[in-house]
Amino acid sequence: MKLSREARRQSRQLFDLALVDTRLDVARLRTIFDGVAERKPRQYVQILKELTRLVRLELSSHHAVIESAFPLDPAQAERFESDLRGQFGDITTEFRSNPALIGGVRVQIGSDVWDGSVQARLQAIKQLL
Amino acid sequence: MSNIVLELEEKIGAIKSESARKTNVGIVREIGDGVARVEGLSSAMLNEMLEFPGGLYGLALNLEETEVGVIILGDYTTISEGDEVKTTGKLLQVPVGKALLGRVVSSLGQPLDGKGPINATEFYPVEKIAPGIIKRRSVSQPVQTGIMAIDAMIPIGRGQRELIIGDRATGKTTIAIDTIINQAHINRAGEESGDPSFRPLYSIYVGVGQKNANIARVVAALEAQDALKYTIIVASTASDAASDQYIAPFSGSSMGEWFMDNGMDALIVFDDLTKHANAYRQISLLLKRPSGREAYPGDVFYLHSRLLERSARLSEKYGDGSMTALPIIETQAGDVSAYIPTNVISITDGQIYLETDLFYQGVRPAISVGLSVSRVGSAAQIKAMKQVAGKIKGDLAQYRELAAFAQFGSDLDARTKSTLERGARIVELFKQPQYRPIAVGTQAAVLWSMQKGIFDAIPVNRVKEIQGKLVEFFETRKEAIMAKIAAKKQIDGEVETELLAAIEEFKSFNS
Repeated sequence: MKLSREARRQSRQLFDLALVDTRLDVARLRTIFDGVAERKPRQYVQILKELTRLVRLELSSHHAVIESAFPLDPAQAERFESDLRGQFGDITTEFRSNPALIGGVRVQIGSDVWDGSVQARLQAIKQLL
Repeated sequence: MSNIVLELEEKIGAIKSESARKTNVGIVREIGDGVARVEGLSSAMLNEMLEFPGGLYGLALNLEETEVGVIILGDYTTISEGDEVKTTGKLLQVPVGKALLGRVVSSLGQPLDGKGPINATEFYPVEKIAPGIIKRRSVSQPVQTGIMAIDAMIPIGRGQRELIIGDRATGKTTIAIDTIINQAHINRAGEESGDPSFRPLYSIYVGVGQKNANIARVVAALEAQDALKYTIIVASTASDAASDQYIAPFSGSSMGEWFMDNGMDALIVFDDLTKHANAYRQISLLLKRPSGREAYPGDVFYLHSRLLERSARLSEKYGDGSMTALPIIETQAGDVSAYIPTNVISITDGQIYLETDLFYQGVRPAISVGLSVSRVGSAAQIKAMKQVAGKIKGDLAQYRELAAFAQFGSDLDARTKSTLERGARIVELFKQPQYRPIAVGTQAAVLWSMQKGIFDAIPVNRVKEIQGKLVEFFETRKEAIMAKIAAKKQIDGEVETELLAAIEEFKSFNS
């Protein structure tokens, strides 16, 4: 169902309420979410869905997904984590293995991507040709 | 030694930056009607090219808090929800240069004519900022359309923007095509003369939302007159996506700007901007931008003003190039006060207004003298034309006014009668079949003969026939006089005596 402008505005306000010092406070978010679900204001399902979307986007911008062709060993993973924390501050990390990359590593934080995989380079060569 | 170290370090730097390039990605959330909404893309820029899977590209037009509104260039049916979209850091570009002459290309500059790839070495961004005040100078050189009514009464100068406006099927495109054909004739004559100061005028025809058959007809008409080799055709037809139609005039302008920036002259025809506004309306509505009057978005005026501002005459310091624009607007039932027509009229330096009534009366080109105007072109008119055509516009306007009155009464004084007689003959003289432009020297000689009263004694229904004979006489037997007019660009005492003698000779043949 289409999200009305009013519902979008309200979900944005609720999301802002859940922020403490520009970071998401999970306890606050829970209280807000449950409060809305309990009171059932007009279009509350849409509001909650939009709120969830905003939360997902916010979390993903502080969440690094590190993809590699083969699983990294714990020492490498540890180095990655500490290096990324050094650069981007307090972020969560997730390691995935993706054989399609062929080799190398692809790091995604929010919508920023650093792609050092063989697949991406092959793609670049393909486009040049 | 230090040099080689620096060089090696540079090379290492290049490798490093290549190894893991930072990009910004998003995920397609909605796709349909050529417009996609993409979540993410937090650092996408306005008008940036975005890469979709399968080598497709899109243009970021709406930057919102968590989403980006993108128009897709090309076939959007292969894109699906959940696809990854990448930023490229580049603006949309089209190939430019002389390699495009003689070709039919899409709005992205890709060949459509099956004549193989285009070997362009230069590219220009599609959206460019128009030349500023410092770079410009006022219009001073003519664009000869080869249409006598226009060259005499509504002259167009290089760098001018002259609107062609009228109802459907009143001959708007024909005027533009005639002009392009005439440029080809002039270019060919200029090249043959070997005059180093000759400045060819290259044409660009941008078809927006036209039928494919119409584009094919234009191409055929230009080929038949061997005018295609001086012309670039940018075709975005009715079956192309609205995004392509929206971009086409801007791409055409970029191709024209290349000529202008390199000290050459270009002429660009936008056929037509009504359909361009419609395509932009469609895109804007799909992007959920707020709509205004007639559902056009708020910036539809800016859309056309920024496009037409790119036509300019550059000063000598900046290469002396120019780009002349002939935008076309289609009106509904002759209503020039509709939204888009008034907008474009206010941006341009004059308009050629075509009337349905005149067209069906057989006055073709059906130019309405009263409503047509050229605000700057008279500065560019050659002296010969100024000498002979100075009063014609006033005479014709007077004729139209008197003709309306004369229908009611038969008792007319001698002066009114002579104005009516003269006016009817001028109207006849200005009738001209399509795709047959007339050289400016011939035009001046015919109008000079008219002013000397040569046609006054001839019945109105025979004026066209005698005019044909006169033109033939001038062009085949009095080539020397025509060449003199063309060289001197004015009718001085010497030319006048020769013309008088020629006319006497002509009369003796036809009496």
